[in-house]
Amino acid sequence: MGLEFLARIRRTTFWLAAIGALVTSTYVAPAFAVGLAAGALWSLANLFLIEKLVVGLTGADRGTAPALRRVALGAGGMPPLLGLGALLLARLPIPALMIGFLVPFAVLTLKAASLLLIPTALWRRVTRDPKIAALLVIAAIGLIWAALPARHLGGATGAIAAAEHATSAPAEAGGGHAAGTGGEESGPQKFPNFITVLHRAFPGAAWVTFLHHYEVIFFSLLVALILCVLAWAASRDARLIPRPFQNAVEAMVEALHDFIVGILGPRHGPRFVPFLGSLFLYILFMNLFGLIPFMESPTSNLNVTVALAVTVFLYAQFIGLRELGPVGYVDHLLGSPRDVTGWILAPLMLPIHILGELAKPISLSCRLFGNVFGEDMLLVAFVSLGITTLAFTHLPIGIPLQLPFLFLALLTSTLQALVFTVLSTIYFLLMLPHDDHGHEEAVQHAH
Amino acid sequence: MDFHAALALGLPLGIGIAAIGSGIGLGLIGQGAMQAIGRQPEATAKIQLAMIIIAALAEALTIYAFVTMFLLNSRI
Repeated sequence: MGLEFLARIRRTTFWLAAIGALVTSTYVAPAFAVGLAAGALWSLANLFLIEKLVVGLTGADRGTAPALRRVALGAGGMPPLLGLGALLLARLPIPALMIGFLVPFAVLTLKAASLLLIPTALWRRVTRDPKIAALLVIAAIGLIWAALPARHLGGATGAIAAAEHATSAPAEAGGGHAAGTGGEESGPQKFPNFITVLHRAFPGAAWVTFLHHYEVIFFSLLVALILCVLAWAASRDARLIPRPFQNAVEAMVEALHDFIVGILGPRHGPRFVPFLGSLFLYILFMNLFGLIPFMESPTSNLNVTVALAVTVFLYAQFIGLRELGPVGYVDHLLGSPRDVTGWILAPLMLPIHILGELAKPISLSCRLFGNVFGEDMLLVAFVSLGITTLAFTHLPIGIPLQLPFLFLALLTSTLQALVFTVLSTIYFLLMLPHDDHGHEEAVQHAH
Repeated sequence: MDFHAALALGLPLGIGIAAIGSGIGLGLIGQGAMQAIGRQPEATAKIQLAMIIIAALAEALTIYAFVTMFLLNSRI
């Protein structure tokens, strides 16, 4: 409790407001999101000033100079903050501001409630067994799911009903839009996955429409779930003398560890093994997932590959900022000028470096997407060729012309996962301080 | 020649030209790597890693043409 508790509330509120602003900017309106964020920030600033005031007036060191400075800061900050609040109220949507303003108090209430809840006997009994706790969590998610889609799907069916009933131009425009998005989704014909089959079998059923709309997310989550279950099963009963399955997984993890540490060096390498290793396994499994009948590679959709590449990009920038410091980061972007020529060339190097950084995620995502998607298209083309060859027999059979390309697909899936991981590792390496490379080379020369 | 015919003619041609370029590049990379491995077989792992990275960079150019084709495919 105490100030530490307040700091935790501040942190939680900050992240909650950031996520809420992102979600509302996507699904409601940008102005609403700005209002939400501004309200939460204003509320946080307000709490901060009040805290300074209270600590300054009632703390153990009241009367001393630091405490007086704190009181002055708290009292002096209030009027500008109130003025800012009035300005915000005039400019931004008031409901969003109010919601944002109330976020810290909601966090405070929930945190206090959880502090009261955790020591109770019932809670302890529930959380003692992970299975019961997991069941309860699943039940809670199910309840929320049952409560939420009622409204969401009601709106969707309402929209469908409106589109069916209306015969005027707007409805046609809506229909055209729907057909357009449908055409974009299935534009180049892919193999049907089981969600497509379900969609054909139950056209208009709300849950199938939902699945069909988010099928890429569904499949990528499925792959992640499979990986989680595999990792859990391999490490559940770890023994000193491993059984075959644990041995296989351990060998794989060790190979990944050696590979990444070999590139990044023994000092920085081990920290990035979890991220890069799971990136490799995730992409590999997603690429190979499309070769299973009635499944689809999530990576054959640009959205997934862009998400992965943006994650790598942001992580690389974060590493640069943390390892090099803000000054070192800018220095890195300027091309590390150390002499007159370097400083003359620095204005030229800055845009080149920034463009280079921005090109990395684009090339990463387009490469992975293009390869997996192109491989899918190749298989589709040869399957249809095999079917049209035997079309004169009017039998539902075809020549399996795609067989050699299935092996090619196995190869490219693995290779592209490797390439994505290696390039991410190289991008991290470029961001890390270069001091220990000279050492490594010296060691090699010594050999 | 109208827009659609030009597009229908240009897209496959564009991919072909891009493939020629990155094919030459990949060939040169492979040649260099194979010679290096032949000269120094104990450095195979390092050479292969560098080869894969550069091959991915060279190959990406064709992939860009390919993605462009799929972006413009619907307008034929």
